[in-house]
Amino acid sequence: MSRPLEEILFGSPSPRARAITRVVSGIAAAALLALVAAAAMRFHEAGQLEARFWNFFAWPTTWAFLAKGLLGTLASAAMAAVIALTLGLVLMVGRLARPRLVRWPSIALIEFLRGTPTLLLIYACFLVLPSIGVKLSTYWMLTLPIGLSTAAVVAEVYRAGVLAVPRGQTSAARSLGLTEAQVFFLVVFPQALRYIVPALVAQLVIVVKDTTFGYVVTYGELMQNARVLIANYHSLVPVYLVVAALYCLVNYAISRASQRLGRPMH
Amino acid sequence: MDEVARLLTDYGPAFGQALFLTWKLTLVSFVPGFVLGVVVTVLRLFPLPPLRWALTLYVEVFRNIPGVALLIFIVFALPDLNVLIDYEHSVILTLALICSAFTADYLRTGINTVAGGQIEAALSLGMRPLRVIVSVVLPQALRAVVQPMTSLLIALMLSTSLASQVPLPGRELTALVSKIATDSAAGMAAFALAAAMYVVTGLLIGWAGAALEKKLRILR
Repeated sequence: MSRPLEEILFGSPSPRARAITRVVSGIAAAALLALVAAAAMRFHEAGQLEARFWNFFAWPTTWAFLAKGLLGTLASAAMAAVIALTLGLVLMVGRLARPRLVRWPSIALIEFLRGTPTLLLIYACFLVLPSIGVKLSTYWMLTLPIGLSTAAVVAEVYRAGVLAVPRGQTSAARSLGLTEAQVFFLVVFPQALRYIVPALVAQLVIVVKDTTFGYVVTYGELMQNARVLIANYHSLVPVYLVVAALYCLVNYAISRASQRLGRPMH
Repeated sequence: MDEVARLLTDYGPAFGQALFLTWKLTLVSFVPGFVLGVVVTVLRLFPLPPLRWALTLYVEVFRNIPGVALLIFIVFALPDLNVLIDYEHSVILTLALICSAFTADYLRTGINTVAGGQIEAALSLGMRPLRVIVSVVLPQALRAVVQPMTSLLIALMLSTSLASQVPLPGRELTALVSKIATDSAAGMAAFALAAAMYVVTGLLIGWAGAALEKKLRILR
């Protein structure tokens, strides 16, 4: 891509076009400001700008409590990511294995975990497992299902990466006398990883989003702690707004990191 | 097996309705979400800095916000601002907003696949920029994003499970499983049946998407 498309489309405007653009820009800006003002008006009319709904954000305890929630979110997300990365590798190796007895169950497991909503898996761990005598802590009731469903997606991402490594690499490694395992883990997989790092990091955003279900199992993550704050201060709108902003910031930071990693390394 | 048979006699029609509601929610949120995403993509092309800035904010917010957080905000916080939306429309609105942000994001990538020379050629034929976007850029961009849009549709179908978090009048699959698991001992069978329905729906969408992709893809 030499020039962005917008630049080709609108790159050399006539003086008249430039004047029109300026006017329309002004109108758009005014309309957006009016929109913001209308929203602010609605907040004011509904009494949501009153100090009692916001003043507890000035207290350090509030932020400490939210930070604790965020830490809970990250602890769950990190463990889910570890499960996903390791189990994903196992599933991918199974998926690419030659014996049908290994390959077909792997495919079935991947399709099952990938095709089922994470929330349904969480409900299974939360409501169904206890009835057959398996008791998990709230942390694992949240983390395990997220890790499992992400593992299936990660397995497919790994597979795409492995298939993208040129065939010559495998042949060359084999002709050097490496065993099949050595060919895979020393030659093919490290190269595959470089292709898929951005996709893996992007998957982390989905993991963080999924941990929002923590309140379903009453695990103390950001969303659950937000609910506790709301129950204490009867301040629905401000707390949800702040929490939504926190989620957006965390995920935006991860997305940006993945874009940065996606740039060519040489 | 026994358990599944008993489940089907007890809850068979309920499962049918739940599956239908899941499909319906998927469809009625995908269509407006997709259209909105296309509109946002086109508007973002125009050289109007305030509009571009606002739409980029829009896309980043709805791409990064967790679906439940948005749904809970719409259902429980908006009434405090005197905005009342019923449960079903809240779910649809949530999914459509998220879908539109992802559509805008994917379509932008699709637009980048259109060669610059084509746009220069179209401009030199005397077409206006909007005409170029509608008749040259968008058709090719849309054909380039069939695969990511299929994945988005599957993800959206799975996200309809969010509806179980609000007291919807009807029950979709996840809400039905949680009800059966709470009421009776048939939780395991109900979970397996619902999971199978989700997986089959996802495979069907994936298959249809692949067929469409094969028909529409542009070989370069």
